[in-house]
Amino acid sequence: MIKDGDFVAIFNSIHRVMEAERLLKDKQLKILLIPAPRALAADCGLAIRYAEDVRGEVEGALAAAGLLPRDLYRKNGDSFVKIGDENEQA
Amino acid sequence: MNKLDVRGMACPLPVVQVKRALESAQGELHVLLDDGAPRENVKRFAQGRGYQVHEEQLEDGFAFTITGPGVTAAREAIPAPAVAAGPTVMLIGSDRMGDGPEELGRILMKNFIMTLLEMNELPDRIFFVNTGVLLAAEGSEVVETLNELGNRGVEVLSCGICLDFFKKKETLAAGGVTNMFTIAETMLSARSVVRL
Repeated sequence: MIKDGDFVAIFNSIHRVMEAERLLKDKQLKILLIPAPRALAADCGLAIRYAEDVRGEVEGALAAAGLLPRDLYRKNGDSFVKIGDENEQA
Repeated sequence: MNKLDVRGMACPLPVVQVKRALESAQGELHVLLDDGAPRENVKRFAQGRGYQVHEEQLEDGFAFTITGPGVTAAREAIPAPAVAAGPTVMLIGSDRMGDGPEELGRILMKNFIMTLLEMNELPDRIFFVNTGVLLAAEGSEVVETLNELGNRGVEVLSCGICLDFFKKKETLAAGGVTNMFTIAETMLSARSVVRL
């Protein structure tokens, strides 16, 4: 479900993740709402997955709508690497 | 000697056929299958269930000899109680989980199906009825997940009447089509039925 190199965005509420999904789907970006991987703490249990090729558009749209994720990770082999603080929102 | 030829079948049918054969097989099971995904999926499935797989390359595919001596011995030594026999069945009667807002219900159902991939114990069969069949048709976001469950030995089946009603018969994208006879018979002989 999550391929190597994919990004996984964790939000801090079900409402934000649903809003983010709606926004990104309206823009026809290739994203998928997925169960948050067990290894990554997510209050709402959901996350948005996207690939590198749409990263700029996805994060640009989320930033413009004030919907940046709480945490962002990239799948790297069997683990997830947290992306730097510049992409996060408390 | 039990023999099975699954050459030319598209995934996940080879896994489903092998699974059925293993459920009723006594002793060894010999399977002829194509290289590539069928070979990998059947091997992973059988080994994951504790069977041993001996493979031999043929001119047009592979021949597997699947043996599970431990399983056979255990079955003979301790007859399983009747209640423990039969498949575990999941009946999904809606494209939503629970009552409440439709959008939330759809998210929860999608989330549930995707989460099944993380489980060690999977149902033997999942039946989709009513709007549940929409989950197995083109355009559903869980098609990939359902096909992966199929590769792990879960038989994914959608109600034919329901597909017809929603005009989705031609766009079924995961699993196969079944009828109420099979659904009723399987549920009545099931070890347990999980209804969503």
